[in-house]
Amino acid sequence: MIRRAMMFLFLLLALQSPAAAHGGVVEEDDICVIKVNYLRAHFKIYQPRVSGHEQFCEDLPAAAESVFVMEFMHDALQTMPIDFRIIRDATGKGRFARMDDVEKIDDLDAATVFYQPAMLEPDVYSIIHTFENEGDFIGIVSARNLDNGEIYAAVFPFEVGFTGWGYWPFIIGLLVLIQIQYLAMSGRLRRWFTKAPPVVLVLGALLLQMPHSASAAEFIVTYSTPEGPPEINRMHSWILRVETESGDAVEGAEIEVDGGMPAHDHGLPTRPKVTEELGDGYYRLDGVRFHMSGYWEIVIQIKSDEAEETVVVALTL
Amino acid sequence: MRIRLVSLVAVVTTVIAAGWLVSRWDAEPGVWSDEGVAILRSLWLESLPDLPPDPTNAVADNPMAAEFGQALFFDTRFSRNGQISCATCHQPERRFTDGLPKGVAIGLSKRNTPSIVGTAYSPWLYWDGRRDSQWSQALSPLEDSNEHASNRLSTIAIVVEDKNYWRMYKTLFGEAAGVDTMYSNIGKAIAAFERTIMPTTSRFDEYTAAVIEGDGERQAILFTEDEVRGLRLFIGEANCTQCHNGPLLTNNEFHNTGLINFEGEVPDKGRVVGVREVLQHPFNCLGQHNDDARQNCSELTFARTGPELIGAFRTPSLRNLENTAPYGHKGQLATLTDMLAHYNAAPDAMIGHNEAKPLGLSARELMQLEAFLLTLAAPAEF
Repeated sequence: MIRRAMMFLFLLLALQSPAAAHGGVVEEDDICVIKVNYLRAHFKIYQPRVSGHEQFCEDLPAAAESVFVMEFMHDALQTMPIDFRIIRDATGKGRFARMDDVEKIDDLDAATVFYQPAMLEPDVYSIIHTFENEGDFIGIVSARNLDNGEIYAAVFPFEVGFTGWGYWPFIIGLLVLIQIQYLAMSGRLRRWFTKAPPVVLVLGALLLQMPHSASAAEFIVTYSTPEGPPEINRMHSWILRVETESGDAVEGAEIEVDGGMPAHDHGLPTRPKVTEELGDGYYRLDGVRFHMSGYWEIVIQIKSDEAEETVVVALTL
Repeated sequence: MRIRLVSLVAVVTTVIAAGWLVSRWDAEPGVWSDEGVAILRSLWLESLPDLPPDPTNAVADNPMAAEFGQALFFDTRFSRNGQISCATCHQPERRFTDGLPKGVAIGLSKRNTPSIVGTAYSPWLYWDGRRDSQWSQALSPLEDSNEHASNRLSTIAIVVEDKNYWRMYKTLFGEAAGVDTMYSNIGKAIAAFERTIMPTTSRFDEYTAAVIEGDGERQAILFTEDEVRGLRLFIGEANCTQCHNGPLLTNNEFHNTGLINFEGEVPDKGRVVGVREVLQHPFNCLGQHNDDARQNCSELTFARTGPELIGAFRTPSLRNLENTAPYGHKGQLATLTDMLAHYNAAPDAMIGHNEAKPLGLSARELMQLEAFLLTLAAPAEF
């Protein structure tokens, strides 16, 4: 009975949480995400002067310089004017404030402590505000869809100078304990443990199968560097030879080239392009430059009338 | 029984301690493998190739243009208050920097003042590479409201009214022409001077010469053991040569190294914005003020754009670290010690991602690395 009551309470709280009906800030897989209607962005807040590089998702430890950063996950946000407002919580709803509550505020400007008028930001959106006082605040991010004039908004209540988590850890801990106890008593826990391995094995087998079916060697690519072996920090050209498995030259192919250093998570310093088809399956690739020694991968996408394939050339400088 | 136990413990302890000491005492630090010598040679100033021509600037290697440019560089008349010259921030005695987090001229400039030494070798100028030649770079501070706060017409008027300047201008570029043409010519003269600002032989270069000659005695005179160990870390474990490579110790490319924001400012977006600016700038290689229209401008044509460049800044040369603090694109790090501690921790970047990975070096190793870095100091010549 108690368990049922607790579950009911939990459901009620979940339904009330601001992210459920409107845009807001949530943690997903340890990544903080802001949802502006259906549009999403990584969301992080820094207090560089007091906490250095430490990232916060919502609540901030101190009244201090705070940098709010949104890294767009949807390209659409790059083309939408976005404004950013921070108000003192005048709704009285604290953590459960929603857009409707914000709309009820008579004088929004009087409650506003920071306002960034709408701006277009193609790369990464960031604003800076120094909080002078601790307390409850609400952040409102709105993005205007230029196609239909609609405004999408995200509302996220947060606390500056928060002292703790209140009763939340206690309630969650209690719920987890009750659930475990229920599972243990009903015998489900034991059944899960005995069932799990086959499920994992089947999934693993499926995953291992996938790459095999995706790769089919259609093209063979060889390259030469007429200006001598590639050396770092020098712009140079490659001559590519593309042939089929049976050794026939592939002519008239569309070739896209990219690449990078997997160990450093970065690409080439340039964007090389095929500038000339030399005939008999030979292509001239200009604008190649490497700026570090180490392991590089050049990814060559080849599209001909017959087939399409991506070939990776690995080289160590 | 008891004595035996004690002596057994003593023997075991001695063996372990000896083993530890042997493992710490790696091969004589001053002895270099062939591979090591090859790396040192690649960083050696003697390996610096001849200065490549700058076909976009017809007077790049003209001595009179360099003389004219040098006079312009130190002339404070090219500013709104008559007190600011290029040398206000690019001070020769400070390796052409100013010792401040951000340059101070008419107002506060946007970023830390970079050195000019050896920049003739770089395809990109500025921390964000928003110009692609020394001459187009030299022109923007003149019009920047926080730097010289002057403008094209006033700049040209001073050149025309100064007898000596006007004589040199006419010899180099001919009679008066359109405003942008004359203005770009003034930049080309400044660049002809800046091209001559080059690094000189540092203690590291002398040490490398001794290594190449196999002169162990001279090596020992030139470098302390800490400096040698620092050099080993520099080309090895500390991964410095990933970006700080070649004789100028820079690859002149753009990297995000996760530096913190400047107080009161949002994090600087860096190259992602700079590349957009250089691609459309009227004074770029593809513009009409390029003196050689046959130039293919491969740097611009193949320039990389996109989100990978968020928060990325141009790798600075390490040849002038002494006397050029503070460091970083906004002078965020006051000392070399701070800079090395930052790389050792490699924290997550505020925007984009930090390409550097934590190093896990000890305090002693960081000290050795710093000792080595200071051996790269040498006055610039021009």
